[in-house]
Amino acid sequence: MNDPAQATLTEIATALAGGAVSSEELTRDCLARAHRLNPVLNCFLRIEDEAALAAARRADELRATGRRLGPLHGVPIAIKDMFYDPARETSSGSAIRRGFRGDATAVALARLQAAGAIVLGALNMTEFALGPTGHNPFYGACRNPWNPAHIAGGSSSGSGAAVAARIAYGTLGSDTGGSIRLPAAVNGILGLKPTYGRVPRTGAMPLSWSIDHVGPLARTAADLARLLRVIAGHDADDPGASRRPVPDYEAEAAGSIEGLRIGIPQDFFFDAVEPAVQTVIEAALAMLERAGARRVAVTVPAAQHLTELGRAVVYSEAAALHGHWLRTRPADYSPQVRARIATGVAIPAAAYAEALQLRAPLLRAFCREALGECDLLVTPALAIEVPTLEHTDVGGGASMWTTIARLLRTLAPFNYLGVPALALPVGFAPGGLPVGLQLVGRPFAEGRLLQVAAEYQRHTDWHERLPPYH
Amino acid sequence: MTDENDALDTGTVAALARFAGYPPFEPETLARIAAGASNAVAAVRASATGPLFDAEPGAFLAELERQAEPPR
Repeated sequence: MNDPAQATLTEIATALAGGAVSSEELTRDCLARAHRLNPVLNCFLRIEDEAALAAARRADELRATGRRLGPLHGVPIAIKDMFYDPARETSSGSAIRRGFRGDATAVALARLQAAGAIVLGALNMTEFALGPTGHNPFYGACRNPWNPAHIAGGSSSGSGAAVAARIAYGTLGSDTGGSIRLPAAVNGILGLKPTYGRVPRTGAMPLSWSIDHVGPLARTAADLARLLRVIAGHDADDPGASRRPVPDYEAEAAGSIEGLRIGIPQDFFFDAVEPAVQTVIEAALAMLERAGARRVAVTVPAAQHLTELGRAVVYSEAAALHGHWLRTRPADYSPQVRARIATGVAIPAAAYAEALQLRAPLLRAFCREALGECDLLVTPALAIEVPTLEHTDVGGGASMWTTIARLLRTLAPFNYLGVPALALPVGFAPGGLPVGLQLVGRPFAEGRLLQVAAEYQRHTDWHERLPPYH
Repeated sequence: MTDENDALDTGTVAALARFAGYPPFEPETLARIAAGASNAVAAVRASATGPLFDAEPGAFLAELERQAEPPR
């Protein structure tokens, strides 16, 4: 085959299955890229050469005897450093959990490995998955492969950068307020926050048990579809996991979008879009129209409150999870993350309970009013051009807090509602950083989002562009 | 988002933190917590437009499944 580094996850899985490349040589290439690029990008907290090569050799041996573990047999991937595994440290990007080992392997990670995936190592992330920029005072900031002066997004910062830099064919992340979709958008790749309950969180570091989601990041819709099918499905140890059957997402992604109605929110989501981003978003919508979709104007009920309703839940639950350490080890948090978590102490319990109880009626209203006349919504994934690390760092100036708030403005509302949302790369701003579109669907309509993303990628080549650091 | 008259003040946050057993926060952190909590509670107040007395507790996952399209 041509350069394996440029192949997508599904392409490389096919090449591996056909013997065109071995898992060991592929894994060696990925590890070499990881070692070469990590001094600049800092996307890995640990590169696990020995374990990855041993797993790759086992995959090759199995294939030589005609056995195939599953649809990811021999494919190198990497995981955000918050999925527990007794065989490796899981720091959760924190000082407090440095050296921690979980008792059992996280279900999503175990499913990826059971499907044959090779884990290259543990990826950088925001401390305790609470922050949108990718800064990390304990392990250093993750940097954007399109321009290392800019943010890689958070909290799954390394998960976005490692895929964009062609180090891993796919990665695993988590999303409590946009933490999969923002790193996907700013690194120019795809990221999917599935429906709440679609992918079990068992063995993943909790931030907010009511709003945490686990999901994949990759370069194409077909890649996401394959990863999602592997990790989705009920698990008895996650009380929030759905028993709904897992469809064949790759088959669902293959359909035409002729006649599909795309809802364009008339309020909130397009209110503060920078002109350079708006131009790219408009071109993407025109592309979808040429592919057969049509636009419908919609209104999202209570749009301006959804993010803060989610925060009432997240901060309350995070404060409960971290209560012991907030009392006994406050100096082991960064000041920013400590302040975010401790916000829960000032939210009355009744307000937390109300925010939880409002979710179902607000979801009903969203499905009825926003999705009643369309098949999915689109919004910008990020309404501003990707900011620099300096501008979003502590002491980044008077506009820092405004910029940070804008990073999650279009993403966090859909964590509270629990509906699936996908970030899709649709071009570049004049500064050379990626622009992303967000697709949002009805509960469990991941297949439809993947279908639209796949159709868009059939007509464009943004996902084939290489960042300077690859 | 929060009306100034409805916002939590830093003294109240400091008292709540003390009550929860947290070590003292610096003034800037108290102000951030007060602003964050005030915004979150204001959103709850603005969204709770009717009684939740008959709402089924813990029914969110079931509601997601009810709102899903039938499998294709």
